[in-house]
Amino acid sequence: MAKDGEKSEWKEFIWNPRTREFLGRTASSWGLILLFYVVFYIFLAGMFALTMYVMLQTLDDHKPTWQDRLSTPGMVIRPKADETFEIVYNIHNTESWDMYAQALDKFLSPYNNSVQAQKNDECTPDQYFVQEDSGDVKNNPKRSCQFNRTILEDCSGMNDRYYGYESGKPCIIIKLNRVIGMLPGKDGQAPYVTCGAKRYKVGKDEWREDTEKIGELLYFPPNGTFNLMYYPYYGKKAQVNYSQPLVAVKFLNITANQDVNIECKINANNIPIGSERDKFAGRVSFKLRINTNN
Amino acid sequence: MSIEEVCRKFQTDIVQGLTNAKAAEFLIRDGPNALTPPPTTPEWVKFCRQLFGGFSVLLWIGAILCFLAYAIQAATEDDPAGDNLYLGIVLTAVVIITGCFSYFQEAKSSKIMESFKNMVPQQALVIREGEKVQINAEEVVAGDMIEVKGGDRIPADIRVVSAHGCKVDNSSLTGESEPQSRSPDCTHDNPLETRNVAFFSTNCVEGTARGIVICTGDRTVMGRIATLTSGLETGKTPIAKEIEHFIHIITGVAVFLGITFFILAIVLGYTWLEAVIFLIGIIVANVPEGLLATVTVCLTLTAKRMAKKNCLVKNLEAVETLGSTSTICSDKTGTLTQNRMTVAHMWFDNQIHEADTTEDQSGASFDKSSVTWLSLARIAGLCNRAQFKAGQDALPILKRDVAGDASESALLKCIELSCGSVRLTRDKNKKVAEIPFNSTNKYQLSVHETEDPNDNRYLLVMKGAPERILDRCSTIMIQGKDQPMDEELKEAFQNAYMELGGLGERVLGFCHMLLPEDQYPKGFAFDTEDVNFQTDNLCFVGLMSMIDPPRAAVPDAVGKCRSAGIKVIMVTGDHPITAKAIAKGVGIISEGNETVEDIAARLNIPVSQVNPRDAKACVIHGTDLKDLSQDQMDDILRNHTEIVFARTSPQQKLIIVEGCQRLGAIVAVTGDGVNDSPALKKADIGVAMGISGSDVSKQAADMILLDDNFASIVTGVEEGRLIFDNLKKSIAYTLTSNIPEITPFLFFIIVNIPLPLGTITILCIDLGTDMVPAISLAYEMAESDIMKRQPRNPFRDKLVNERLISIAYGQIGMIQALGGFFSYFVILAENGFLPSFLVGIRLNWDDRAVNDLEDSYGQQWTYEQRKIVEFTCHTAFFVSIVVVQWADVIICKTRRNSVFQQGMKNKILIFGLFEETALAAFLSYCPGMDVALRINIVLFAYLISFNPSGWVERETYY
Repeated sequence: MAKDGEKSEWKEFIWNPRTREFLGRTASSWGLILLFYVVFYIFLAGMFALTMYVMLQTLDDHKPTWQDRLSTPGMVIRPKADETFEIVYNIHNTESWDMYAQALDKFLSPYNNSVQAQKNDECTPDQYFVQEDSGDVKNNPKRSCQFNRTILEDCSGMNDRYYGYESGKPCIIIKLNRVIGMLPGKDGQAPYVTCGAKRYKVGKDEWREDTEKIGELLYFPPNGTFNLMYYPYYGKKAQVNYSQPLVAVKFLNITANQDVNIECKINANNIPIGSERDKFAGRVSFKLRINTNN
Repeated sequence: MSIEEVCRKFQTDIVQGLTNAKAAEFLIRDGPNALTPPPTTPEWVKFCRQLFGGFSVLLWIGAILCFLAYAIQAATEDDPAGDNLYLGIVLTAVVIITGCFSYFQEAKSSKIMESFKNMVPQQALVIREGEKVQINAEEVVAGDMIEVKGGDRIPADIRVVSAHGCKVDNSSLTGESEPQSRSPDCTHDNPLETRNVAFFSTNCVEGTARGIVICTGDRTVMGRIATLTSGLETGKTPIAKEIEHFIHIITGVAVFLGITFFILAIVLGYTWLEAVIFLIGIIVANVPEGLLATVTVCLTLTAKRMAKKNCLVKNLEAVETLGSTSTICSDKTGTLTQNRMTVAHMWFDNQIHEADTTEDQSGASFDKSSVTWLSLARIAGLCNRAQFKAGQDALPILKRDVAGDASESALLKCIELSCGSVRLTRDKNKKVAEIPFNSTNKYQLSVHETEDPNDNRYLLVMKGAPERILDRCSTIMIQGKDQPMDEELKEAFQNAYMELGGLGERVLGFCHMLLPEDQYPKGFAFDTEDVNFQTDNLCFVGLMSMIDPPRAAVPDAVGKCRSAGIKVIMVTGDHPITAKAIAKGVGIISEGNETVEDIAARLNIPVSQVNPRDAKACVIHGTDLKDLSQDQMDDILRNHTEIVFARTSPQQKLIIVEGCQRLGAIVAVTGDGVNDSPALKKADIGVAMGISGSDVSKQAADMILLDDNFASIVTGVEEGRLIFDNLKKSIAYTLTSNIPEITPFLFFIIVNIPLPLGTITILCIDLGTDMVPAISLAYEMAESDIMKRQPRNPFRDKLVNERLISIAYGQIGMIQALGGFFSYFVILAENGFLPSFLVGIRLNWDDRAVNDLEDSYGQQWTYEQRKIVEFTCHTAFFVSIVVVQWADVIICKTRRNSVFQQGMKNKILIFGLFEETALAAFLSYCPGMDVALRINIVLFAYLISFNPSGWVERETYY
């Protein structure tokens, strides 16, 4: 009986024929409440849109308000490793390294000399390519400097289609994250990349380095510098064809069949060392393992 | 059963009593002579109930999922993020802490109860093997011969074997305030009515008696009522129902959303682990973790406030029940009345005089100079066996203990108050003979020497039933002079008698006579057995009538209850006439309202011709009640606003309470006696009296009035209604922040934007910044005169109804969410991620491998860099919720009034605002907190969160 009562109570709640109420409200009541909410939400949405619009008006088109999080630019390697940051392949197994070569091909295609010559200008090296706006008149679009693929020489993929992967002398390409207005290095000293062994933890308070396993390194362009003429960056709106400078590192005789932990970092006299937590600010680390046995 | 039969049945001897061996055997067979205490739930069960009740289950699920997610992460990843572990620990801690908190609150209130149980071991005088021994009452067994004397508590149900002027006070059992005499003869078939049985735990007022124990422990009449009481299922308190209802709604929403988004997440191609993490987030965002603790604190605060006003609340949840009460069933004796007979009226000099019946003697006085009054006082003082117990001279007269029966004590106190020491009068007028009251001649007389030593006449004084006294009188004293009793005076006497009797008062007649010296010289031997002196042709002096007067504060309290829409029903074991008189006296039957009988009498028509609908009031006799069907009962309860039930048994009280509950009323029962305890237990809230109440009634009750003052109930109602209103506000306030907590998650999952608000931050809001303001709302003052409105309808006026949800979620919550999102977008936009750019960015955003994520300007971000921005967003979202919650607390502060009418007088609330801000600032700015809580330092510029409208709707609030 109690169940019946409950059931009919529910029925009555859904549609009460006596008071003509649907879910506890009459049609007019539902209409009013819906109207209220429609109006209310339109009003809210309008209010929100208005405030958002006003907020967006306060923003500069070419430079974000805050850049303090980017004081130390990030560094990234190519070919792109997955979340483990490992590049592992077997030289006898073409499929295991072919994808790296293809990724690099793809990555470097915009740097082909022909493309660069078509889009970008040749600039004076070793000095900032400053393109000031004159007052309110924007000096847009801004020109960009050529970064020819051939600068990377052995790692350009022009001579060696497989970037040294098939011979156990792989190329890793390093780039520095773009930050608008960043001038890396003062007094004309260009920032440069150095790679070395990474200190890593093997147990509690036990650290190890793979210094002896790394072997000889070769940097392209020489010394692994990012030429100053590629800075500052003016943002993708103003500087549409900006070519990000690259540094390639070639491992000439890395120890095979072993994990080698490598850390590359930027050396510049005005870039602060990033926080301990961020492993990609001003440095980048990865693991390289080349298997040679079948 | 004759005495011999009883003896035989219990194998006892009327002189020798039981043998020790038999007694020991019976003790083993029957168990100790004590009431079994009501079963108590073990402590750990109570604790577990707190740990796993309400939202706790949801939070436990959340915590377990957290640990599970962490375990999976730990198993699959080298460097698992600790988030899930921390969150799991925090959730577990939250559940355990709130559980412990509620448990201790409950334990505290039950401890107060323990203190009431400090029963002194009672002693009983038994005769065993012919010797009188004093033993613990617990060791009394059936068959024991027992002796009781005036002042003792009767240790078991006993069959009286012999008695000397023994009177027992059965008021705690039956509600009758007059002591009843006990004798060996069986006078009635009903054991409750017969004279030869005295009951366990009643008191022997005077005289001595000896009897055989027939029942012990739970088998006694008292024990049976106590068992009836403990056997009753008590319903949940209204507030418990409300909270349950509310928990159901919230849990339903949480589970629904959780499951929906879990499935959605799986369909959208998230991994199981991610889906589980979403589920946790949704649960955490949906459950107002701090709310139950807030409710407990609010109730505790009110309970404390009520305790200050002499309402001790045993069960926290009962605090609110009085507020929703729509019917109060009140016992008469001891609750509405003072439970002591007091002289209320006197009739002498052919005039009714009113005596002062108030507790503090502030009432009107009468002319005390009349000679007739002096004579009347002398008779009342002399023809009276009551006397004050020794050693009470310091106490005011009304507070002193009197040995003697109730009406004689009343007379004694009255005379002592108005004419000075009765003992002196008695010393001056030595008693020479006395015939005590008995039911056959219905009078009591005594013969005294006169005050004047030269006057050798004897003074005969007599009191008794007025008509018997009148029969013995031939003259009447008017203005100090004897006048022959004529028809006119007899008529006047009859009128006065009728009038006083109609007031429900017990009327006594008084007469005296100076015996002629020639017939009764000094030294005359008065024989009281075979009366050898004149007992008629006396001189009638006057009438005195007594009543158990209502407490002074009761009429006002009843009036307040009535204006608050609460129906007050009187339920008493006493006579209908007395009950009706008291009901009229205290306003339960208000002036001008008539019962069916009154209408019949006024119109001079038979009762059957009166339309019962015309009568708003009615008096129902217990015997009539027995014959009523359920429908008739409902009809009476529905159609009469002013009801008095007289001569009711404990079971009938229960039926009345159930009848009221069946009609949807929330019933409060007040009472002090054992006979009230089943009803007390059955009622939604039982209110027992702290001073006069029996232990059983206190045990059955939810609330105890420490000062026995019915008026305290009004305070209780007021506080109860206030806390209901304030809880509503508090819940509305707490629920509001759920929307800005849940929407970030929904947008995170559906449109793939970076997470605007983290789970830990949500806990910071729920358990940190929201707590004090929510509690402070409990201190809010009443908005309007809450005692002038009707009690809430438990079916319609829910604590949390769809309007509250609609306001909290649909309106204010949305505003808050927009505020939060605005600050979120501001921060991201100012850092280079424009709103349009964010949609769909989540996959790359949360990918640790992507360390060159491009923003709207073409800059590239590492994972950690953009996470710092994200946590800044969390903080900004958090701070903007705190800011909009300032406005919300002010919105929730009032429901009908505007904030300008209500004022900002709630100091705790202002404190709460500052505390909330300070805590938010601490959480945002304190160094190290970014690691602990993953909240980052907000640049001051980000504090520009907006707070639109909100003020508009105040007047259209729920």
